[in-house]
Amino acid sequence: MRQAAPSKSRFPLSPTTSFAGLLFVLVAIWYAASSQNNAASYLLLFALASVFLVSIPWTFSNLGGLQITVESVKPTFAGQEISLPVEVTNGSRATRYGLALALPDLGDAHERIDEIPAGKAARTVLRFPAAIRGEHEVGRLQLTSAYPLGFLRVMKQLPSPQRYVVYPKPAGEQRLPTETARSGQSSSRRELGEGDDFAGVRAYVRGESQRHIDWKAVARGQALMTKQFTAESDGLLYLDFAAVRLDDLEARLSQLALWVIEAERARRPYGLRLPTIEIPPSLGEPHLHRCLHALALFK
Amino acid sequence: MKTLRKKDTRIPRRPLLWLAAALLFTLPPMFETLLSWVPMLFLVALAAKFWMEPKGYRLRSLIWKLILVALILFLLFFSYGSLRGMEPGVSLIVLLTSVKILEAHTAREFHIMIMVAWVLCLCGFFLSQNLAIALCLLIAFILPLVALIQFHCGLSSAFWPPVRSAGKLLTQATPLIILLFLFFPRISTGLRFQIAPQRGASAGFSDRLSPGSVAFLANSSEIAFRVEFPDGKIPTLGAMYWRGVVMWHGEGLEWEAEKSPAVLSRASQGPPGGEAIRQWITIEPHDARWMFALDWPVNSPSGAKLAPGNYLLSDQPIHKPRRYEVVSYREIPDNRLHSGEREPVLQVPASISPAARALAQSWATEKAQPRAIVNKALEFFRTQGFRYSFSPGEYGKNDLDEFLFHRRLGFCEHYAASFATLMRLAGIPARVVTGYLGGEYNEIGQFFLVRQADAHAWCEVWFPDSGWERVDPTAVVAPDRVNLGLNFFLERRAAAGQLDNTQSVFARQLARWPIFGRARLGWQTLSYAWDTRVLSFDGDEQASFFASVGMAGHGPIFFIVGSLSFATALLALYAGWTHLRTRPGGNRVKIVYETFCRKAARLGAPRNPAEGPLDFSVRATRLLPNESERIRRIANTYIALRYAPAPDPMMLEQFAKEVNAFVRAS
Repeated sequence: MRQAAPSKSRFPLSPTTSFAGLLFVLVAIWYAASSQNNAASYLLLFALASVFLVSIPWTFSNLGGLQITVESVKPTFAGQEISLPVEVTNGSRATRYGLALALPDLGDAHERIDEIPAGKAARTVLRFPAAIRGEHEVGRLQLTSAYPLGFLRVMKQLPSPQRYVVYPKPAGEQRLPTETARSGQSSSRRELGEGDDFAGVRAYVRGESQRHIDWKAVARGQALMTKQFTAESDGLLYLDFAAVRLDDLEARLSQLALWVIEAERARRPYGLRLPTIEIPPSLGEPHLHRCLHALALFK
Repeated sequence: MKTLRKKDTRIPRRPLLWLAAALLFTLPPMFETLLSWVPMLFLVALAAKFWMEPKGYRLRSLIWKLILVALILFLLFFSYGSLRGMEPGVSLIVLLTSVKILEAHTAREFHIMIMVAWVLCLCGFFLSQNLAIALCLLIAFILPLVALIQFHCGLSSAFWPPVRSAGKLLTQATPLIILLFLFFPRISTGLRFQIAPQRGASAGFSDRLSPGSVAFLANSSEIAFRVEFPDGKIPTLGAMYWRGVVMWHGEGLEWEAEKSPAVLSRASQGPPGGEAIRQWITIEPHDARWMFALDWPVNSPSGAKLAPGNYLLSDQPIHKPRRYEVVSYREIPDNRLHSGEREPVLQVPASISPAARALAQSWATEKAQPRAIVNKALEFFRTQGFRYSFSPGEYGKNDLDEFLFHRRLGFCEHYAASFATLMRLAGIPARVVTGYLGGEYNEIGQFFLVRQADAHAWCEVWFPDSGWERVDPTAVVAPDRVNLGLNFFLERRAAAGQLDNTQSVFARQLARWPIFGRARLGWQTLSYAWDTRVLSFDGDEQASFFASVGMAGHGPIFFIVGSLSFATALLALYAGWTHLRTRPGGNRVKIVYETFCRKAARLGAPRNPAEGPLDFSVRATRLLPNESERIRRIANTYIALRYAPAPDPMMLEQFAKEVNAFVRAS
């Protein structure tokens, strides 16, 4: 969780388009009242003008005491949507109404928060498309409010140090390498038996260790089966940057991302070899993200 | 994505309801003055909108919109004859708004409709400014505010908070409104466009007295004017003859005033007799130039003149409530009739029948003294079975004989006109005066209210010894009308079963309830205050107000700049106060601890944002060994205070002291 620090660079109040309408109506009423010398119309003019004037401090103070906290962002693939969980805390002693939260640096994503009572917080999720792979800064968070009358808008921009990662979009025509790539000199050899990676089941033989019995299958009423695991010693699936026969860097990374996912799905232990970094083969969620992260940050 | 955004800009239902209510409240003045199909169409459009909105229908096609607008223009032109002037203009705005209602769909159009609602308020004030309408329009002014607040509050907001916020906003704006109303200069733009509404015949009073013209007003409860007697000298009700117009040209039962009377020359005026009665009169707009005053006004208010016959005439038609001061005397001694004036006041039309001529001649030959002739005529009316009625049937202008010798049933105008004609036939100068008689006293506001129903016509005859003198033939026929006022008169008649006025019996009984009576008087007083304090506050009143507060002689720029800067100062004060009131930091413990952290940072032990207080104290004691004891104490107290369900105030004070001492000691 990272808190956004306020920046005080520009005047926070700005007129909205309906302010122009108000000005027009005020001038029209003034003109009509003065040319008719109509006291009731003058009263209308002054009432409208005064209500507008009084609403200025209302608008101005409507963002006072608000703090934005950006929570950590889950990485996503390019072309998908990023979800940015944000918490707005109202540290003031008045209820805040009609807030709009936006990311001015990241397109027109915005989210409305209707009301935050004094001392309470509101959570919302900003969604925006993740276009380009890599690690990005959330940049500025923008809180605006036109409450109460909508003639003026108050704005507060808070730069957020929060970063998020966009993985390359998994795409490509090439099939996942079936033959295991050579890691150095050693040849690939797969051994069934003790190991980390699940490879399948076979019938249970009496006297075997009961540690690998597929108990779930037993519960389903099937016969006793033993789960088999493989341990890959040195014959490994290495997804190699150099092995992708594509010219475009992004296309290569996309292809690699697709392979990573396919390998993970096929539960084939895989490693990643990039010109800058080499990730030893493994399986599992953390490994997957480690690989995708490396792909995302590759330059 | 796109559909989502579209949904986002749709007008939510509740603000739309508020807006619709606002539009409804702009309607009453329209129903009062515009052709009734105009506000009806508006209502239909609103209803249609509520039928269409849930179904997703709306006026989309440009061709249909154009056809509707053309149709509206045609209908307006057809019914008003032109598109210029007040009513067609306002009607046009109302009808175009109706089309807009059918079309409006987006948030932007919602904001436009809000503006339109305020413009309709303005139109309403142009059509009518009485208190009831003003209250309606006040609501119509507030409801768009509620709609806007609801709109900007977000959709999930409940019903009442926006209403409360609008009330708060308005309460806070009230001092500013009063300030601006009093001090913002009423500059005349010079570009005057005259768009006064055309009033119907109900406003009544005219420069022509014909049979039935006063009786026509007898049912009108509209206010003619209201009077205050600032000196407390109040004449009796029976003597309250409000002089309106003097009619010099008689044609039997029909009399007529001078079209463009000259100004009464001051030279012919002698010193008035009796005591001066000062009056403040607030007259309702009637679009003519009549002004009223007690018999006999001697001065003319500014913007008015005294016409021959001592009656007041405004220089400009009266289009809005106007307040003026006038002084009247019971009698004016010098009422000489010059030789040139004698002829016209004896003129009678040739169409008068021989019978009427013979009647007047018989009085003239019988009595020599003019006073005796007058008494003879009054006796004729008293004894010959004349009856007073406000529905005496139709009379033409030559039906003098019908009235005098056959039907003998008439209202005050019949008596005044016939009496004056008979006097002229008998050789006595006579004229008819129209105005009002009596009034209703309001003890709450301490003013008299004179209604159109109090309209009256009487005679004045000229005696060589005393000049013009008032003679009211109605008084001999129906003395109660003069002494008790028309209302009492009608009531008594109704009680005696002489009037079959059944629909008003309930109203009359209601009127006798004390609470209802008080409420009515209170309302009238409020309405009087609205007319005299607010509506009549124009440029001239403002100038005299400035003079009374010692600010005369400054230009409009001074007042614009002055009132705006004063308003800004008020706003700044208010903003500062709001800021103080709502500033964060209800939690003093945290503030004090942050002070401690700042001080520690200055000494070279900055706290890491992610560091807990205990970790920080451990690190800080290592960095600042001299202060280790105090740092540990501060950390422990802070933790105790921060995580206690209710912090002990004594402990908090101790904590604050420790933090205070922290830097001083080092």
